[in-house]
Amino acid sequence: MDDAPRAAEASAPAARGTERLFDAASPGASKSPLVVVDDLHVSFERGGQQVNALRGVSFELQPGEILGLVGESGSGKSVLALTLLGLLPERPRPVITGSALVSGTDMVTANREQARLVRKQHLGAVFQDPMTSLNPTMRIGKQVIEAAGSTQEAVRLLDAVGLPDPASRLRSYPHELSGGLRQRVMIAMAVADSPALVIADEPTTALDVTVQAQILELLGTLRDELGTSFILVTHDLGVAAQVADRIAVLYGGRLAEVGPSADLFGAPLHPYATGLLRSRLVLRTDRSRPIVTLPGEPPDPRNHPPGCPFSPRCEHHSGECDVALPPLETVTATGEIAPSPAGSAMHQVACVRLGRFSTGHAAAIDERAEPWGPVASASRGRNPAVLVHGVHKRFTIGTGLRKKHLLALRGVDLSLNEGEAIALVGESGCGKSTLLRSIAGLQMVDEGEIEFGKGGRPQMVFQDAGASLTPWLTVGEQIGERLRSEGLRRQPRDARVLEALTLVGLPAEVAKARPAQLSGGQRQRVALARATVVPPEVLLCDEPTSALDVSLAATVLNLIGRLRRELGVAILFVTHDLAAARMVGDRIAVMYLGRIVEIGDADELCSAPIHPYTKALLDTVPEVGRVHVRLKGEPANPIDPPNGCAFHPRCPSAEPTCATSPVSLDPVEGASGRRVACPIALRLRTPITGDLNTAGVMSARDDSGRR
Amino acid sequence: MIKFVVKRLLSMVVILLMLTAIVFLLQKLSHINPAHAYLGANASQAAVNRETHILGYDRPFIAQYFHYVSGLLRGNLEVSLRTRHPVSTDIVAFLPATVELAVSGLFLAMVLGAVFGLISAARFRGAGAFRMLLMSFASAPVFLLSLLGILVLSGNLHWLPGTGDTSYTNAPTGPTGIIVIDGLVHGQFAVAWDGVWHLILPALVVALGPAVSIGRVLRGSLEASMLSDFARTARAKGLKERTVVLHHALRNSVSAALSMTGLQVGLMFAGVVVVETIFAWPGIGLYVDQSIPQADFPAIAGVTLVLGVGYVIINAIVDILQAVVDPRVALV
Ligand SMILES: Nc1ncnc2c1ncn2[C@@H]1O[C@H](COP(=O)(O)OP(=O)(O)OP(=O)(O)O)[C@@H](O)[C@H]1O
Ligand code: SF4
Ligand code: SF4
Ligand SMILES: [Mg+2]
Repeated sequence: MDDAPRAAEASAPAARGTERLFDAASPGASKSPLVVVDDLHVSFERGGQQVNALRGVSFELQPGEILGLVGESGSGKSVLALTLLGLLPERPRPVITGSALVSGTDMVTANREQARLVRKQHLGAVFQDPMTSLNPTMRIGKQVIEAAGSTQEAVRLLDAVGLPDPASRLRSYPHELSGGLRQRVMIAMAVADSPALVIADEPTTALDVTVQAQILELLGTLRDELGTSFILVTHDLGVAAQVADRIAVLYGGRLAEVGPSADLFGAPLHPYATGLLRSRLVLRTDRSRPIVTLPGEPPDPRNHPPGCPFSPRCEHHSGECDVALPPLETVTATGEIAPSPAGSAMHQVACVRLGRFSTGHAAAIDERAEPWGPVASASRGRNPAVLVHGVHKRFTIGTGLRKKHLLALRGVDLSLNEGEAIALVGESGCGKSTLLRSIAGLQMVDEGEIEFGKGGRPQMVFQDAGASLTPWLTVGEQIGERLRSEGLRRQPRDARVLEALTLVGLPAEVAKARPAQLSGGQRQRVALARATVVPPEVLLCDEPTSALDVSLAATVLNLIGRLRRELGVAILFVTHDLAAARMVGDRIAVMYLGRIVEIGDADELCSAPIHPYTKALLDTVPEVGRVHVRLKGEPANPIDPPNGCAFHPRCPSAEPTCATSPVSLDPVEGASGRRVACPIALRLRTPITGDLNTAGVMSARDDSGRR
Repeated sequence: MIKFVVKRLLSMVVILLMLTAIVFLLQKLSHINPAHAYLGANASQAAVNRETHILGYDRPFIAQYFHYVSGLLRGNLEVSLRTRHPVSTDIVAFLPATVELAVSGLFLAMVLGAVFGLISAARFRGAGAFRMLLMSFASAPVFLLSLLGILVLSGNLHWLPGTGDTSYTNAPTGPTGIIVIDGLVHGQFAVAWDGVWHLILPALVVALGPAVSIGRVLRGSLEASMLSDFARTARAKGLKERTVVLHHALRNSVSAALSMTGLQVGLMFAGVVVVETIFAWPGIGLYVDQSIPQADFPAIAGVTLVLGVGYVIINAIVDILQAVVDPRVALV
């Protein structure tokens, strides 16, 4: 590869000075690829065993292209990203073969100094956790200047990535900014000096859905205006599909499928990609039956099968799959495997049996799982299991002059009936977890009452199951603990533990394991088994799936669905994901800044949202090639919530009265059980016929699409 | 900030009360009659009894303690049984030399610790040899190091002086009592320079142990910082490794090393007493060393209190420094 012309090309725009950020990229200036990865293998030695993280990955990336790199945890996404950056950890020393050319330099063979220069001149990086990826003791101005070169340039970049009032923010420390703003700062540093390629490793995973949409839109804008290429690493096919031109799916350290986003998100060919898409929740997913999940466990990187890495979990698998590693082959539009060489617009699949089973998303979607049975306690009548009335909760943060009050709950009413499931939805800081913890009795409320039905205290399952299990006790001991307090003796206790494990789909051996020996999904099941071994009247779940991969999350959601039907427990399920809320909840309650702003039947609420905030949340559900950003600005701050309707600073339909007159959660005419805290939306809805209302909602959404 | 100061003052009061109580308890347990020591070995039993009564050592233990504490509130540390001066006057005379030694020892410990931590975390060339050298010296007891320093560096090689804080008999004695500073104040630069020479060996001996502890903590937290997400971000910007260490990792690692420094202060005071005795350094360590065999409990209690105050002050400074290096730390 000739290095010189490309280096000149990369530095040319920089010479043009400050206007360059929003100059249109010169399209097609170069036809030669920016990144060429060829047969890349990376392995580590861990505990005396070989961990094979990447096993022969090849792909190319064109200038100005966005490639979505998708795969579940441990598939090798981050290792690939770090290899391209030349930043793989030095200990344990990785063994790397093959090549990874970035702007003409092979990052595999480059020495430290060469790799550093490539990073400085041609690369930028954005990492997952904006909380830890910025230096906590350095002002953000200085951190951006390190990459940008001058204060003036830093301000310009921060402005370009949408940081409000950038000049005065230069003196802030990272902990003074919200997660979304910090991620913008990271992006400003990544695009400083117009790199040819920015590698973003899960840049939106740690952010709220509304902020995630803003960040994805920003990546797309930067590509369009700077001509920068992006590699967007994510575990969510939907996130990749929104902005990427092409998607590459990694499985077990190998590429399973590579192709245009629309093809992969619409009609994937590889059985793994199909399964991934199927277990991804959308607002259309059939609620009457369990979500179709991938069977089995993710592959063990120390012990890959000799043939197709997906074969232990593949429904189409046959003997020929295990003979050799299936090569990545180009597929023509008609579904034939073509011998033509790989090109960027090609659709490539690594499956030897392709064509011998029917592919496509739609073909396999529903009818495969048995529909759910009835809820066990449905016959028990409609008495409330939990009654929350006028609950307020205030936290005091800071000391002395900097003392502030954080209003986490500002008057919440909610009634959960026996055997019912309600999903609480809202962005971080809206108070959903506080409400759950108050109900669980883990903290006192300042005002209001929480009453329970005839059952006792509810049981709770946390987001991070790993942290909520005791590390030195075996799984069996932890599940059995609650039986011991019931005075059960050893043998019947063991039998009950086994029963609980079976119910959550874990083998009996797990009883002897300690939490550290289990995977994240297994630990979450253990937490569920512990919570349900003595079936509680009410089970409280605080984002139990948000730390899990898509397919694992789907199995846990199914499990909750089954527990509820077989044991008849009522469920209060907290999540920030509306699609998951709709799967679990009979009703959905949308929270904003310590209050419920809309509550109603799950399907009705998702198909015809009324409150502007609910609509905005629904708009974040991904579509191919399009990012909806209905909400500008930051998630609201529970310290000093705005007067009137707390949502008014961000509300697209706000009217002057919204800033002053308080709103209440009012019933919606003609929709039983539905309540909405927005007089404006209710007024727009009330006239004459019901049909008109839905039309109003629809046209409002279309508007945002056209913008 | 006000809250911080109040808290520190309160903790100082508590520490001082506890220290005096301990000294009193020791006196009780030792069964030594200070009055006997005061009058000398040949005093008659009657004289001793009389003196015991005058000095108040025949009163109940608790009453003695309250008497002492109430005197303390009026700035009265009682009279030394050995020098027969008020203990406060003695301390004013001996403290400056100790402050000089302790502060320079602490400073040296921090500098050596920083060098030790930095070069071993960043694996600079020569780091291993420096580390070995420092560790082997620091593992020796303070008295052995002092003797070694006196015998080799001053006795054999004549590089450094081995006793006292000055070679001048007519050195200025005011205004601070610290020879180096007083020399500068009076324009006698030779005296000041001579003071520095005298300081090097004892300060080094005092500093070595704490330096290794501080350096180890610094190395540990530096290594963690070098593997952190923000260090990865800094490398991704294409910064040089040296910039990553000095501009990003170091400041995030100093906090832990500062905590360790605070902890080491107590240990260092013990070292100061030994070193002052061996180097005939005219500080409160030497003073208390001479007071102990004479059962001069007022002197011992006074010195203990001064060291307690020093401990609280230095730890408060450490807390302030921590808040300075880390913007997330609030002074409470
Ligand atoms: N420094 C390392 N030492 C040993 N093994 C490693 C190291 N880094 C990664 N691995 C292993 O390599 C495999 C791929 O890891 P990688 O971090 O790329 O996964 P990923 O796809 O990014 O997953 P996630 O979605 O959890 O971030 C995993 O089995 C991981 O445990
Ligand atoms: S090669 Fe075989 S096991 Fe692998 S995906 Fe294709 S059909 Fe399934
Ligand atoms: S009350 Fe006003 S600000 Fe609040 S949601 Fe309705 S329209 Fe928006
Ligand atoms: Mg990763």
